[in-house]
Amino acid sequence: MTDPSQQAPEPRPEPAAGAQAGEPPEPEPAPEREAEATSRAEAAEPAPAPEPTAAHQPQPAPEPQPEPAPPPRRPRRGGWLESLAEHPEAVIEVPRRRLAAASRRDFLLFALGTLASAAGAWWLLPGRTRARLLPGPAHDRLDTLAARVGLTSERREGALDRALTFDDDVAEALYSKNHRVRTYDRSAVTPLRNNYDGQTPGPEYLPGWTLSVTGLASGRSERLRIETLLARFAHVEQVTRLVCVEGWSAIAWWGGIRFADFLAAFPPAPGARWAALRSSVNLDGAGRPDPYYVSIDLRTARHPQTLLATHFGGRPLPIGHGAPLRLLVPMKLGLKNIKAVTDIAYTAGEPADYWNERGYSKYDGL
Amino acid sequence: MVPMSASEPPPDRPSRPAPDLTLRVVVKHHALVRLSHWINLPLLLGLIASGLAIYWAAPVFTHARDPVTGSGDYMTDLGLLLAGLFRDRGGEPWNWVYDHLSLGTRQLAVALRLHWALAYLFMLNGALYVLGLAAGGGWRALLPRPGDVRDGLAMIRYYVGVVPMAIRRRPWPHPPITSKYNALQRAAYFTVPLAGLLVVLSGWAMHKPVQLGWLERLFVSYDGARVVHFAGMVVMGAFVVPHVILVIADGWDTFRSMIVGWSARVRESAHD
Repeated sequence: MTDPSQQAPEPRPEPAAGAQAGEPPEPEPAPEREAEATSRAEAAEPAPAPEPTAAHQPQPAPEPQPEPAPPPRRPRRGGWLESLAEHPEAVIEVPRRRLAAASRRDFLLFALGTLASAAGAWWLLPGRTRARLLPGPAHDRLDTLAARVGLTSERREGALDRALTFDDDVAEALYSKNHRVRTYDRSAVTPLRNNYDGQTPGPEYLPGWTLSVTGLASGRSERLRIETLLARFAHVEQVTRLVCVEGWSAIAWWGGIRFADFLAAFPPAPGARWAALRSSVNLDGAGRPDPYYVSIDLRTARHPQTLLATHFGGRPLPIGHGAPLRLLVPMKLGLKNIKAVTDIAYTAGEPADYWNERGYSKYDGL
Repeated sequence: MVPMSASEPPPDRPSRPAPDLTLRVVVKHHALVRLSHWINLPLLLGLIASGLAIYWAAPVFTHARDPVTGSGDYMTDLGLLLAGLFRDRGGEPWNWVYDHLSLGTRQLAVALRLHWALAYLFMLNGALYVLGLAAGGGWRALLPRPGDVRDGLAMIRYYVGVVPMAIRRRPWPHPPITSKYNALQRAAYFTVPLAGLLVVLSGWAMHKPVQLGWLERLFVSYDGARVVHFAGMVVMGAFVVPHVILVIADGWDTFRSMIVGWSARVRESAHD
């Protein structure tokens, strides 16, 4: 307001008209009325009329004009650019007591929010992080205090699990069988690491390998050899990206049979909604047997890009990538793409999932 | 804040108090803008801490293995550098960044759960911010406008000179500002929400690259989204440092205005 080097005057008729309408018919404005007019005049940025801030002066002196005020420029480009222009900041007159009460309330809320954030942060941090941040007895005292107000570790796990379930629900809602996984040229293939979490199994399991299938409509259980599967089903190929929960990804050339074809040939029992896939040859880091298992909803299993893969890079699967048969669900995180499948069971209820039991999500849809 | 509205009751209300019992203040920030501004602070801290713990599992920015240090990525290089700088012999210098700025290494499962929980809250909070900008009309003050480059350079010149001139006791006037923010502030307050939007979009592109394939393509590729996501974090983190310094330099009134919504600097037309 007091700055003479203003920007171009903004022809905003509304508040300016209000200020002018408020002035002339008032011969002796009461102080509070003048204050009101002040705020409006303030809003009408380049109003040439009385100095608005001099509320105590009955006859306000006109503001010194360093140069003759330029005629108001007309908006050159219609009005849309004008509508984006910043409005001058509104100056208002508020009773001190009301302002103090409102400000007190806001500071109180701010303090409460700070306290709640600190408590929430301590509660949500994993135990190892907390132990590093604050070693010693102070850590236990804070934990006791947090537990006393209801911020227990059980509740933390519950809250975080709910966030994960919510995210899974979002993923499931986003899923469409019409959404295809992006496919690539073979020239786009990148190296794919063997990400077996434990030791990679030795080749001893290969000669005796069979795929056992249960939960079938026939009521029987099947034991299938790889030769049977390769001979019976059409071979399809696709170049897709495998996305790991760790954040890395790789494009690979896969071949195998469609899970949908397999499901059509070996239909699940009525009411089945899930497939539990298991690898009994999986090993832990010390080389001990550590069966791996994933849950796949049959909707995803029937997706045309879901394969029971038998080939990698145009050759039969190597052991590191799950010989002789692995699941390839490129619309799920890599951890669902179980290697060296030995058992498939169709179930009505949701089966257990190896990594879900270790704190990861259950649905893992990409 | 009810009494802060610019459309006050009609002037001839008889029960208005005498002028010495009232105070003239500038209306600054909408209540929702203030609320979301402060909620951002713990959310961003948590998102960065959990995000870096996720980054630990597979760094984006890698290079050929250094034969001397054995490091294969820039975050490890930075960790080694910082551990040396601070003469920190406590933990594993390789993981210095993860141990000090994130939840730590080998916490992928919990970091992911925390990151999703906070990310949903961050999006909700972003919606509150947008709502507050729309309701209070504050968005207009953030838009870039003609002359911003010139005015921004003038502000840089001012900031560069302000300390040396204070030492030499020479006058160093603040460039005249007639808007809510100066051109540099405007650039920052416009860029940071944009970075927030990009972080959210690239996050979704990485999280659901199949169902939201169009979004992944928007970032060219899956790895493109990862790079943008990381860069967005750097932009928001880099903004905080001058933001906090300038608010401290500007004083109590500016800090308070983000809590209570008003400023007492009426005559100076509030140029910081």
